[in-house]
Amino acid sequence: MDQKDSIGFFFYNLPESMDGPIDYTALARYVEPFPEIVNIWYYSDFSWNEESIRKKIENHNLNRIIIAGSLPGTVKALFSKALTVSGRSPQSLVLVSFNKYGIRTGKDMERAKALILCAIKDIPYEIAAVPEDVPVNPATLIIGAGISGIQAALEIAGSNNLVYLLEKTGTIGGKMATFDKTFPTLDCAACILTPKMVEVNQHPSIRLMTYCQVQEVQGEAGNFSVRILQKARKVNVSTCIGCGTCAEKCPATAPSEFDAGTTMRKAIYIPFPQAVPNKYLVDAETCIYLKTGKCKACVKACPVPDCINLDEQDKEVILNVGNIIVATGYKTFDAGKMEQYGYGKFPNVLNALEFERILNASGPTGGNIHYRSQDKKGNWVFTTETEKPEKLAIIHCVGSRDKNYNKYCSRVCCMYSLKFAHLILDKLPEAEVFEYFIDMRSFGKGYEEFYERIKEEGVSIIRGKTAKVEEKNGKLLIRGEDILNSTLIENTVDMVILSTGLEPGDDNKKIGQMLGIPTTECGWFEEANYNTDPTGTFRGGIMIAGACQGPKDIPDSVAQGAAAAARVIQSILRGKVSKDISSLTLSEIEKRINELSPVI
Amino acid sequence: MSVRLNPDLRNELVRFGIGDWNACYHCGTCTAICPLSEEGFLFPRKKIRLMQMGLESQLESSVEPWLCYYCGDCTKTCPRDANPGELMMSLRRYLTSTYDWTGLSKKFYTSEVWELAWILFFAILVVISFLVVLPSFGYQYTAELTPEGGVKVNSFAPIPIVEAFDWIMALIVASLLISNIIRMYYKIIWKNSKTKVSLWVHIREFWLLIFNFAVQPKFSKCDDKRYWLSHWFLMSGYTIMFIVIVVYLPWFQTEEILPVWDPQRWLGYYATFGLLFGLTVAIIGRFRKKDVKFQFSHISDWLFLIMLTLTVITGILIHIFRINGMPMATFISYIAHMAVLVPMILIEVPFSKWSHLAYRPFAVYFTQLKKHAVPK
Repeated sequence: MDQKDSIGFFFYNLPESMDGPIDYTALARYVEPFPEIVNIWYYSDFSWNEESIRKKIENHNLNRIIIAGSLPGTVKALFSKALTVSGRSPQSLVLVSFNKYGIRTGKDMERAKALILCAIKDIPYEIAAVPEDVPVNPATLIIGAGISGIQAALEIAGSNNLVYLLEKTGTIGGKMATFDKTFPTLDCAACILTPKMVEVNQHPSIRLMTYCQVQEVQGEAGNFSVRILQKARKVNVSTCIGCGTCAEKCPATAPSEFDAGTTMRKAIYIPFPQAVPNKYLVDAETCIYLKTGKCKACVKACPVPDCINLDEQDKEVILNVGNIIVATGYKTFDAGKMEQYGYGKFPNVLNALEFERILNASGPTGGNIHYRSQDKKGNWVFTTETEKPEKLAIIHCVGSRDKNYNKYCSRVCCMYSLKFAHLILDKLPEAEVFEYFIDMRSFGKGYEEFYERIKEEGVSIIRGKTAKVEEKNGKLLIRGEDILNSTLIENTVDMVILSTGLEPGDDNKKIGQMLGIPTTECGWFEEANYNTDPTGTFRGGIMIAGACQGPKDIPDSVAQGAAAAARVIQSILRGKVSKDISSLTLSEIEKRINELSPVI
Repeated sequence: MSVRLNPDLRNELVRFGIGDWNACYHCGTCTAICPLSEEGFLFPRKKIRLMQMGLESQLESSVEPWLCYYCGDCTKTCPRDANPGELMMSLRRYLTSTYDWTGLSKKFYTSEVWELAWILFFAILVVISFLVVLPSFGYQYTAELTPEGGVKVNSFAPIPIVEAFDWIMALIVASLLISNIIRMYYKIIWKNSKTKVSLWVHIREFWLLIFNFAVQPKFSKCDDKRYWLSHWFLMSGYTIMFIVIVVYLPWFQTEEILPVWDPQRWLGYYATFGLLFGLTVAIIGRFRKKDVKFQFSHISDWLFLIMLTLTVITGILIHIFRINGMPMATFISYIAHMAVLVPMILIEVPFSKWSHLAYRPFAVYFTQLKKHAVPK
């Protein structure tokens, strides 16, 4: 640069707690000694408008501006305009975004200083801060065996490298295994997923670990040591023949997790007929023997000697792996929180996962839509003995795009609701179906075409969300504004399906802390770069994939699973993996910048 | 037909109340949850739309803001925190200012200084009348008591003069309100070029006006019935007081102390109770800010409550001092009473919050007319 740099340094340190414990005075002390710096301003120093910024540029004759803060992008336009108006190039503006580089606490101050140093020296941080490579253990741990985790496992195992596939529940498959059809192609979900599940089970390079949870992660990129809790299945997986005699005799019941509570299962159970591994397990909280010390009906019934051992204890396993992929998925919004829709109060108000099971040919009603009824013990379940509903309403955006619950869009609900409408008409051709939506978000390949198709099928698609579901003469009364027709409609229907949104899993925070990867304010895992590295994290050797990073449909989850696997395979092929970017000390970065400066 | 847009409409409206109304994404939850929204008269969402689009003339000819009694359910369930309930309240203030041809209403609503200055001006006029003008005509304070031991109120506040003044004040207020209601009628019914309403419908539905003024049946349709009750007590107490003071002053302001069972006494007591009950509920509510309807107090809400409370308290004091024979205290509280009452009636009734006593029942009446309108 011909002209000497004169930099105006602005701290966009927002008031209140928005910024967290970033020590701006310490950063200012670091900035001050640089000869290029003309002056330092804080957020509270003046009112940040174009006029005042322009005056500062002109009075101090600044030729470059650096804005540092958690979210400096907010004021970028203001500064660009001020620079242009005062005859400078808007290119002379550099943003230092702490948020983008995961700087949140006082511990990250070294990295914050490094970022600032790069900005002052006008060297991209990505070039200056390259962590060193370390040898990698070729084994990989994948946490979560939903569609994303399964895809990643198959990709990595396909390169003949060892994969540990960890699953919290008794079977792999995740949420997708409970679905009937996928949108927009209306493919049978099980027909896509079960072959992959079987492949996972039979693959020589995949070690399947169901009913397991991560307890602790130690070490760093290339060589993690992971302590895993293997919960007692109380059934020997290698000898169990899956005959089901034990469950027939078992007297204790609990709502089936796989069927989203629409049916009851026994205390010794198999999650669903195509479960992988197709072996029984004991639910310790429901088992009568484990509570009272008496029963053992299953042990007596079992045809295989010593297969069931009700006294088996949980055990811990230590795994050594080089890379970890987190694919823990999501949970659905608890519709009971929105009391106005009567979920939990009216039996025929269903959430989305429940309705998926009703539509599923392997579900409680064999894929036929029936009313919910009480069984002999008083549990509300679905059977084929009840009547079929004739009018059904689907309410979109339950718990999503709502500042009182989750402000984000859950991304899949519009499409699965349209799928529901299609499947209802498929099964009940005489039925009337109403969709109450706010905005129809059919954003993907073939999605808009699917929406058009459903509209033509005779579904009443009403713009205007309802506010309340009330009971009237044993039916459900829905009142809503039909915005496009400018009328008020009061609709009496037989069944209401709530399009519940997606939420981060309950364990996300815990897992995030264990692995040292941050979560966003909504609780999703934070990726290294939204656009260019959606499956990477700030920790070397740790990747994220699928809906644990944000609401996602099946194709996107599969794509991310494969993308994360590609990163792992790359490191295994190189034999090396990059350490955490946070492992770099400030002096290391300073040294590298001094090497680079004359070049650039 | 061309439609004129006012891009500054939102900026004008925020001067009348608080709300992030541009946040609305039109989900229709507010309309659906509102128990008062009905076919043909859908709100609040449609009003937000008009506001966002700057359709000023359509907004001015809206009757719906007057049909809302502010239960706050829309604001509670709004997924965008856009505060539709407060928009309806702000629209009522805005509409009051558009009906008012003098332009004073807008000044009072948007400038606190302006409103306070006028209140003070009228208060000073009242004090001067009692201390300077009336004594110069020979009506002055006397420490003498009646044979029963009561205060001689008529010596410093002669009934014929006070009564004449009452009537003048009532005429001014009534002519302002009536002319504004004619403007309201013009905007809502007359200006509508597509439909017309027959004279017979006007006559047939007129009872609705009186019925709604007396009972506020629409208010009782809100899910929370408590506020209907406290509002009704406040309204009935105020109406009774207004009638006895303006129409029956010689009967109400006596020097003779009547027995407690005389209607003069118990009607006064009922009205005082009604006013106090309604005021207490409103003041406590606005301090606690628990219910949505009390969370966003505008200066006009507080001024109205404070002035009415002061009027009631000074009124009670006059009564106590008078029957207990305390002439000086009666004299002072009488002046204080009038110094709050006069500005309250002259400013609040035609130009500010009180005006809803006329606009609301007329809005219900106009709504009914609109329902029976036929195409031209």
